[in-house]
Amino acid sequence: MLSVEHVSKAFAGVQALDDVNVEIGVNEVVGLVGENGAGKSTLMRILAGVYSPDRGSLKLDGAPVFLRSPRDANLNGIGIVFQEQSLLVNLTVGENIYLGQEAEFTRLGLIDRRRLNAAARRQLDKVEVDIDPRTRTSELSFAARQMVELAKALALEERTERHLVILLDEPTSVLEQRDIDILFARVRALKRRASFVFVSHRLDEILELSDRIYVMKDGRVVGHMEAGSTSVPQLHQMMVGRDRHAEYYRESRQQSPKEEIVLEARGLSVKGAYQAVDFTLHKGEVLGIAGVVGSGREELTRTLFGFVPQTGGTLKIDGHAVRLTAPSQAADQGVGYIPRERRTEGLVLSLPIAVNMTLSSLPVGRIMGAISLSRERQLAKRWVDKLRIRTPTVEALCLNLSGGNQQKVVLAKWMNARAHILIFDHPTRGLDVGAKEEVYELIRDLSEEGVAIVLTADTLEETIGLCHSILVMRDGQVTARFDASPGRKPSQVDLIRHMV
Amino acid sequence: MTETKESGVIRRKNAFGTKMQLAETVFRFSSNRRNLRNLRLTNSEFKISGMTSNQIITKSLLTDGTVRAAIPILLLLGLVILIGALQPSFLTVDTLLVVMADTATLFILAAGITFVVMLGGIDLSIQAVASLSSVIVAVSLSRFGYWAFPATLLVGFITGAFSGGVHVWLRIPSFIVTLATSGLVAAAALLLSQERSITIGESGRVYLNWITGRPFGIPSVILIGALVACVGIWLQRYTPFGRYSTAIGAGEAATWASGVKVNRQKVIAYSLSAGLASLAGILLAGRLSSGSPTLANELLLPAIAAVVVGGTSITGGAGGIGRTVVGALIISVVRVGMTFVGVDIFAQQIVFGVVLILAVAVTIDRTKILIVK
Repeated sequence: MLSVEHVSKAFAGVQALDDVNVEIGVNEVVGLVGENGAGKSTLMRILAGVYSPDRGSLKLDGAPVFLRSPRDANLNGIGIVFQEQSLLVNLTVGENIYLGQEAEFTRLGLIDRRRLNAAARRQLDKVEVDIDPRTRTSELSFAARQMVELAKALALEERTERHLVILLDEPTSVLEQRDIDILFARVRALKRRASFVFVSHRLDEILELSDRIYVMKDGRVVGHMEAGSTSVPQLHQMMVGRDRHAEYYRESRQQSPKEEIVLEARGLSVKGAYQAVDFTLHKGEVLGIAGVVGSGREELTRTLFGFVPQTGGTLKIDGHAVRLTAPSQAADQGVGYIPRERRTEGLVLSLPIAVNMTLSSLPVGRIMGAISLSRERQLAKRWVDKLRIRTPTVEALCLNLSGGNQQKVVLAKWMNARAHILIFDHPTRGLDVGAKEEVYELIRDLSEEGVAIVLTADTLEETIGLCHSILVMRDGQVTARFDASPGRKPSQVDLIRHMV
Repeated sequence: MTETKESGVIRRKNAFGTKMQLAETVFRFSSNRRNLRNLRLTNSEFKISGMTSNQIITKSLLTDGTVRAAIPILLLLGLVILIGALQPSFLTVDTLLVVMADTATLFILAAGITFVVMLGGIDLSIQAVASLSSVIVAVSLSRFGYWAFPATLLVGFITGAFSGGVHVWLRIPSFIVTLATSGLVAAAALLLSQERSITIGESGRVYLNWITGRPFGIPSVILIGALVACVGIWLQRYTPFGRYSTAIGAGEAATWASGVKVNRQKVIAYSLSAGLASLAGILLAGRLSSGSPTLANELLLPAIAAVVVGGTSITGGAGGIGRTVVGALIISVVRVGMTFVGVDIFAQQIVFGVVLILAVAVTIDRTKILIVK
C-alpha cells in the first residue's frame, strides 16, 4: 500500500539512506531494526514528511506522493508517535489531540470545547484508555501520554480517506514491561484500523509484534523476512553485518596500559542517575562504558567532565580527590571532553579553526597577558599537519569542514591543552566509515602517548574493538567488568547479557 | 584594505568511495590576516558544497564578507559627502572636530555596550548609570577634588558587576536584569540630586580642565574617546577576555565545554559596560558643568543603534569596538544632518528607532536563532 522506492538521503556528506526499498501492506505491522546510525530514524522522518528524499520516491497505492511537511503526511494518512514525545504538557489532553485542527471546532473565532472534548473522547476510546480529555497533560504518566499520542495519530482517520499508517519510533524505550504489554495489545487490536511501522532497539519486541521485518545497516536494507521465520541471533548477525574485523579497530596496536593510575572513582554516585560506581583508569588505558539509554552511562561520562556534579563517592585525578562542578574545573585538572554534540558543544562553528584549537589553552605572551596571534597560527598549522585535517588554511571556519575534520579540530583543542585524560562521548557519531577509521587510529595514537581515555561508543563493536577494559551498566549500577585485551575480547552477547 | 585572490579545487570521497564532489572554492584574504574579525567575514564565503549533487557553489556579492564589512564605512563617507555637498561649511576642520567631540560620549557609551553585545547580551542600564555618575561628580567634586572621578567610576563598575552577577548567578535574561538595574540606579540618582539638576560651582570647575581643555587644538574628549577605542580594540583582540567573549557570543555551549569560565567573562563585560557608561557620565557633567538625574536618558537608543549600525551582530560573536567607532560617527552625522534639515530634537528618536530596526534586520544571523522571542 505505502511503498518506499529507491530512496536515498545524505546529510553533510554522510549517506544516511542509500537506495532503500520498503513495502508496507494493509493492516500489517512492519518492524524496522538496525544499529544506531543505520538510517532507521531518517527513514521514519522521510515517511513523516520531515525530510524529503534526495532520490527515489514514496508511493501510496502505486501513485507517487510528495510529502512536503508533516501536515502533508497527515493528510495522506501517515501519523507518527515520536520517540521523544511531542505532546505539549501545558495543554489538556483534548487540546493536544486536536492541536492544529481547532478550526473544526471553531465558531465565530471561539473554540467549542465541549465538542472538541467529545471528539477527543472518541479517539481515546479507540485506544481503550479512560482519560478525561480535560486533564492537563503534565498530570499524566509517561505511559498514559504514549496512549494519548497513539489516539492523536488515530484521529487522522477522520481527516483523510486514506488507510492509516502509524509510525512508532521506539515507543517502548521509556516504558515499563507492564505498559509495553498494554501498548502491544492495543497495537494488535488496532491492526484492523491501520498499518504500523515499528522501530525498536529490542529485537525480542520486534519479533513479538511485527508481521514482517526489515533489517537496516549503514543506510541500506540488508535483510527482509517474515517475523515467523527468523530469530534474535539471526537478526543480530544481519544488523552487525560482518564478523568483527579486528584490524578495523587497529587491535594490533593495542598495548597494555601503564601502571600509573590517573583517574579513580570510588562509590561515585549522582542521585537519580547512577550509584556506587568504582573504576580505575591507568595511563594509556582505554576504558569503555557500555549500557543502554537510561543505564546511567551518559551521566557518568558527563560527571567526569563536570557537567553533572557528583552527589556521592570520591573521584581522584592523579591521586588528588576532586569534585568537578563545572567543565572549567575538569579542564584545569587536565581532562578533555569530545562531545556527542560536536556542532554545539564541540566547536564554535562560525569561528576559524585556529581559534577553536586554542580555546582551551590560549597562547598568551609575556606582554600583559596578550594573546600571541602568530604563535596561535603556528600551533594551529602544526595540528592541521599532524592530524591531517583537510583544509586550505587554519583561518577557514569550522562550519565549512566535514564531520571527520571537525572532530579532529575538537581533538586538537584538547591535545593543545595537553589533556592527559580524554572523555570520548560517542566520538564517531554522524561520521562516515573513512572518518571513523581515522578516529580509531587517533585513539590508538593517544593511547600510545600515554593519554588515558574513557569511551562511550555508538556501537558495542566499537567499544569491544577499541577498549582495554569495559564497564557494563544497567539501571544506574555497574553490572559487569570485562578485560578486553587483544585475544581476550568479550563478545557482544557477553555484554548485552549484563545490559538488559 | 588590499586583497589577494586564490582559487582552489577540493576533491572528496564519500563513505562508499564514489567520487562525489568537486567543489570549487574561491576565497580571499584580507592583507591583514591577523585581524580575526576580517577573517571571520572574508572566509565565510569559502564553502565545500554538499555531497549529494554536483552543484557548484558560487558566491554572490551580497554574501561576500568583505563587501558587507565595508558597508558602514561607505555609509559614513556617503553621509559626510552628502551633508558636505549641501552645506560646504560642514567639511571644515572646526566643524568636524565639533562633530567628533559630540560623538565621543555617545561612542564611549556604545563601546561599553559593545562588550556586552559581543557575548550575546544587552545592557539597558547605561543611560541611568551615566546620569547617576554625572550627579555624583556634581555633588562631590568641590569637596573631594580629583578623587571624585575614580570614586564615580568605581560606582559604575560596581553597578555593572551587580547586573552581571545577578544575570549569571540567578540566570535571569540580561535585558530584564539591566532594566531593573536601570530603575535602581535612576532612583538613586533622583534621591541623591533631590530631583534637580546640580550645577558644578566655581570651586569644582578647576578639576574639569582635563575634560574641557583643548590640547594641540583638539578637544580632549576626542582624545579620551580615542584612548577608549584603542584600549577597547586591544582588549577584544589580544586578551583572553576578548577572545572568550567572541567565542561565547558565537557558541556559548561549545565555549563552556572547552573549559572557559563563561560567567567570569560575562561579569567582566557588564562591569566594563557600566564603567564606561560612568566615564561617559563624567564627561557629560564636565562639558555641561552640571549633573542631572536625567542627563543621559535620551542616549540609550542612539548608543545601541551605534553598536548595531557599526556591524556588531546583536546576537553576539561578530563585530567589535572598531566597528562601533564607525557606528557612533554615523549616528552623530545623521543627528547633525537631521538638525540641519530641521528635524525636532525629540523627533530624532523616531529616526534612531527606525535605524536600529533596519540595522538589526540587515545584520542579524537568523540561522543562529530558530525562534525569535
